[in-house]
Amino acid sequence: MSNNTVSKFLTWTKSAAGISILATILLAVFAAINAGPYLLVNTIVTGGMLALVATGLTLMLGVLNIAMFAHGEFFMIGSLTAYYVFTPISNYISENPESFVAVIGPLVAIVCAMIVGALSGIVAEKLVFGPLRRRSTDNWVMNSFLLTVGLSVLLINLHQLIFGTEFKGIVGYWSGMPISIADVFVSRDRAMAFVIAAVIIAAFWFFMTYTKTGMSIRAVSQDITGAQIVGIDIEKIVLLTISLACALSAVAGGSLLFMYPSYPTVGLEPLYLAWFVVILSGLGNILGAVAGAFMVALLKAITVEYVGSGWDFVIPSALIMLILIFKPSGIFGSDVRGALDK
Amino acid sequence: MDNTINSQQMNLFDKLLDKLCLTPAGLFGLVLLFVLPFIPPFNQEYMLRWLIYSGFIASMSVGFDLTAGYINIVNFGYAAVAGFGGYTSALLAINMGLPTWLSMVAGGIGSGLLGLIIGMISLRLRGIFAACLSWFFGLAIMGLATKLVWLTRGPLGLRVPRIFEGDSNAPYYFIIIILLFLIYLVCKWIVRSKIGLAFQAIGQNMDAARTSGINPVNYRVFNFTLSCAIAGVLGGFYAHYYGILTPDIMHTSKTVEVLAVAYIGGRGSLWGGAVIAFPFIFIMEIVRSNLTNLPGLNLVIYALVLILVMIYYPGGFSYFYEMNIRKTKNKILRYFFNGRD
Repeated sequence: MSNNTVSKFLTWTKSAAGISILATILLAVFAAINAGPYLLVNTIVTGGMLALVATGLTLMLGVLNIAMFAHGEFFMIGSLTAYYVFTPISNYISENPESFVAVIGPLVAIVCAMIVGALSGIVAEKLVFGPLRRRSTDNWVMNSFLLTVGLSVLLINLHQLIFGTEFKGIVGYWSGMPISIADVFVSRDRAMAFVIAAVIIAAFWFFMTYTKTGMSIRAVSQDITGAQIVGIDIEKIVLLTISLACALSAVAGGSLLFMYPSYPTVGLEPLYLAWFVVILSGLGNILGAVAGAFMVALLKAITVEYVGSGWDFVIPSALIMLILIFKPSGIFGSDVRGALDK
Repeated sequence: MDNTINSQQMNLFDKLLDKLCLTPAGLFGLVLLFVLPFIPPFNQEYMLRWLIYSGFIASMSVGFDLTAGYINIVNFGYAAVAGFGGYTSALLAINMGLPTWLSMVAGGIGSGLLGLIIGMISLRLRGIFAACLSWFFGLAIMGLATKLVWLTRGPLGLRVPRIFEGDSNAPYYFIIIILLFLIYLVCKWIVRSKIGLAFQAIGQNMDAARTSGINPVNYRVFNFTLSCAIAGVLGGFYAHYYGILTPDIMHTSKTVEVLAVAYIGGRGSLWGGAVIAFPFIFIMEIVRSNLTNLPGLNLVIYALVLILVMIYYPGGFSYFYEMNIRKTKNKILRYFFNGRD
């Protein structure tokens, strides 16, 4: 029995997923020893948030076959909402620093970001994707992709038109001493950002694996016709998926407001990185996206550390291109050609 | 059979038009574009600058449509490829002292090589994957242009010699119109030949195309090379017209601008984007410069039009033209819009 487990593990290490995960861990250990553990902490915080954005993107791809280009704009919507909700709260906190609002307030802002993100996702489905789906589903992947390009331009410029181009940022959510882990000082905001990401991803995983709704989402992503036959309401699932995906992106934007102040094109960087993750881990693979997010975050951190800032698009994108050339289905993906290949 | 009879009936003028891939309406449009800078509201310097920019986007959209409309792959790094051509051309002109027109050709060749590479490495990929690959390629090139400060001066901007001495922009306008027509002509000739048929077959169903004896490798690589070479020449024009080059030209938003014009014009038509670019970009510029207190309004309109066209009228302007304007009953108008066919 134990022999069987060992041999299974050995086979796994020889697969693309095994090799890349082991290589990532080795690289992380090496970088942590060589450059200091702060690199690891950075990786984990950005990786957690990236995982949220990338999971939403994967969900859209897997369930709806929409290659979302406007996902970063929901990140922007989240950070904008959090800014406008948190500003009055922080004024109140600065007057009464001891009240419980100092602890609860930031969470209220982040939850508001999530709700607004979900609502805007529903609006996007009702106004943009729904009409296209009803008109025609020919060449759906490409058409919906171009539609999201238009949506992205629209949202960026609506932000500019209504709220202006200046940076709308905050100093921090939770004040107080940074927490010290292994000689590295981590600010409370970063620690909380990671905790939020971890909790949401765990809850999301639980939802997708064990609840009936989560199962029907996965069923739709595998086979729409089959799902319809067993009586799943496709319209409802589509709406739910879009609002979930957008809420995930918006909550990432809300909880990273202290790092990324809200401005019209704030969403582009998370979008690029999330796309890297999705290509790396294979389209429509949710758990793979979480692993891929940490890989991309590590890659970015290491590039900034050893090559210099500003190169963090050149080297990851070169690497992703190599993956696209040699393993187009991603390192965790299967080789089955799906709807996205057309 | 039909063709031989028709070509006997054609007079010299019609034959010439046919060779130039124009209808009488197209010829009229071209002549109109040539005299436009002399007609009063358009002869002011700032209007001329808008017209030149419209011409630039129009030409880009023709090159873009060759890939997007025919082999059905959206080259999302198109602006980056154009920027690469622009930088190649500018650096050659600055460091080697090449005459600007020669360096523009060199920029085209450079971008063509880049297109060859993109075409080769995206061969195994289809649809959205190929679009992503070219997008990441574009991001990488833009990152390089931003970071190789010793070569490109990065975001500070590279000062580039202009094509003509003096301040007048009129010569640039005629150059871009001639370029636009030449690009259209080259693309149209290719599309009308057997190669174009193969392109369409590959775009519609690659496996079926392969079954009927078309080797997609050569056609796809050729298509990418040509379309990127066009972008390179135009990038060179852009560099030598503005006199300053920053990595902003490579940004994805520039690709989106070209894409929007090409799709509103109608994909797979080549001329649709070129025709729609002039009024469209012109109106956008008017909105932008007159409503300066509402920044971004022009791009909001832009995006709205793109979304509405994508949802409700995917054929774009060219489809509308084919369905409504071309089918007119009036004989003279019919000749005007269709040529002798």
